[in-house]
Amino acid sequence: MAGWMIAAALAGAALGADASDRLAPLPPYGTAYTPTTVDERGLWQQADEAERDLRDSPAVIRDAALNAYIGKVLCRSVGEDRCRGVRVYVVRAPYFNAFMAPNGMMIVWTGALLRLRDEAELASVLGHEFGHFEMRHGLKTFRRGRTIGDIIAWTSVISPYSTLPVSLIQLHFSYSRAQETEADLMGLRYLTAAGYRPLAASRIWERLMAEEDATALGRKRRVTHHYSAGFFADHPTELARATYLRETAGADGERGDEARDAFLTAMRPWRATFLADQIKRNDFGGSEYLLGELATGHWTSDLLLTRGELYRERGNPRDLVSAAQFYQQAIDAGCTDPIAWRGLGPSLLRGQQAAAGRAALKTYLEKAPAASDRAAMAMLIGEGGVQ
Amino acid sequence: MRRGWGALAFAAALTMTATPLTAQEKTGNKPGFTLAPGTVTIVLMRPEIAVGAQSTGGAYEPNADWTDQARENLGKALAEAQGRLGNRVITHVEPVGQGAAVAHEYRALFTALADSVQTYQFFPGNRLPTKKRDDSFLWSIGSEVASLPGVQGADYALFVTTEDHYGSTGRKLLQVFAAGVAGIGVSSGVHKGYAGLIDLKTGDLVWLNADLAMGGDVRTPEGAAKRVAQLLEGFPGKPVEAPVTSVATKTAAR
Repeated sequence: MAGWMIAAALAGAALGADASDRLAPLPPYGTAYTPTTVDERGLWQQADEAERDLRDSPAVIRDAALNAYIGKVLCRSVGEDRCRGVRVYVVRAPYFNAFMAPNGMMIVWTGALLRLRDEAELASVLGHEFGHFEMRHGLKTFRRGRTIGDIIAWTSVISPYSTLPVSLIQLHFSYSRAQETEADLMGLRYLTAAGYRPLAASRIWERLMAEEDATALGRKRRVTHHYSAGFFADHPTELARATYLRETAGADGERGDEARDAFLTAMRPWRATFLADQIKRNDFGGSEYLLGELATGHWTSDLLLTRGELYRERGNPRDLVSAAQFYQQAIDAGCTDPIAWRGLGPSLLRGQQAAAGRAALKTYLEKAPAASDRAAMAMLIGEGGVQ
Repeated sequence: MRRGWGALAFAAALTMTATPLTAQEKTGNKPGFTLAPGTVTIVLMRPEIAVGAQSTGGAYEPNADWTDQARENLGKALAEAQGRLGNRVITHVEPVGQGAAVAHEYRALFTALADSVQTYQFFPGNRLPTKKRDDSFLWSIGSEVASLPGVQGADYALFVTTEDHYGSTGRKLLQVFAAGVAGIGVSSGVHKGYAGLIDLKTGDLVWLNADLAMGGDVRTPEGAAKRVAQLLEGFPGKPVEAPVTSVATKTAAR
């Protein structure tokens, strides 16, 4: 009982009640900002060292066209003067996530690029991350964590049986969730100001929840979506975010650009790569859902090929029959990748269709004479294995 | 009474760090390795330097000014120390473009290697039984390190890492208060560092010197010189080296 009051008093004094709703007009933004306080300069230097490592990492996609497109969307979303202080790195990781470092380094994972549907959604993700940077959330979290750690250290010596530490830790996480909400709303403000469709922000979370459901179904598990996050959650739940973003978008939420074609054109050269990474995750339900979302009723050859790979990977007897069908459909739709025949062959062979399977593998060997698995595939069709 | 246990454990974990009272400094040499002074070229890779403060609760607070000062001072001290190493030391020129990714990977790999040596061989806590024997300092980074851009023309690569958390006033107050009033031991400050030598032909780690309690204030030139002297203690083949102390060369105790 007493602990609560002490926590509130100390929190109010030490941390400052800074979680006000910042929907007021944004302050003027200076392009060449350099930090001045010891804490912020230290964090920027740490982030600079991390960026130095990231810059050289093989996981970063350095394609000029893709980076130019994402930079263009960021600048349209947050404004030319703001986007100049930010460097975006596209990192090859098949999960939905994006990060912002205190020094202006932004990281977007390729799983996010695969799951986003149009430019408005990309703008909302980039705007959210920029919101963290503009409001200096990294610095605030660092200071808050330090103050809480200090109070807990003294408490453990002065009053070891107090529950004040528990209250303070809960405060830390709820402030973190509040910062995420603040960044969400900032992203929404940027989205609206730039002329994008506001409802795009909430749609991301709705589809992520649907994907989670599909993943759970595929693994024979249950998923419940909650409004309130757990004790240690540093982000609000997806359901909460979808709800408040939809509500804040308001009645005019449908009005605005989504620029779907521009987004798809920019992502097209990379879609096969991102899909190949996705189906390696051993997430049948989620990958099926994603493929269905990408197809939207119109199955292109690359999506059919990926679907065939996915089914062949799971490899249940009925899956191999389905996989063979998908590979054949991909070939009929004009697929020229030898992988299609490489997948079709073993799927048919396992389905007791020896002649058709051998023919498909023969075609694969003709199309890819320098393949690394040539010997193994040749052995499958009785043409002798090791050279 | 019972309600507070969880909080107490959490708080205790935050404030107390387990520092072993014995064996905070150790040097390892590859069995049979000798280095005649004046015969080889050593390339010094970019040192990893982090200097900051330690908050009352034990958290690391990065400090850009101190780190910059340390980088400058340690750079000068390492340059001066090269003469006393008895061999030619050149500074690694960071590659640009494709080579930079490889250089970064090797830096991370060396850090992982050095951490493994310290965890599994040097300091009590999690040492592997096979690594406790006398002649068991056998570690390698792989022979492909010879193709790393910027090391061609050198025979050995020298890696240096140092980390300092200077205890804040609040931390020191807590230390005094905790010891005096509550009888709890609270550590203040972290000063760790290690230096290692890699044979570029085979990729073998031929020498590693690790110290969990280093001296010398790296923010000053004199302190940096003292720190470098401690980092390079036991460096193989130093021409004017006095017999190293028993702490540095004793084999792993059972």
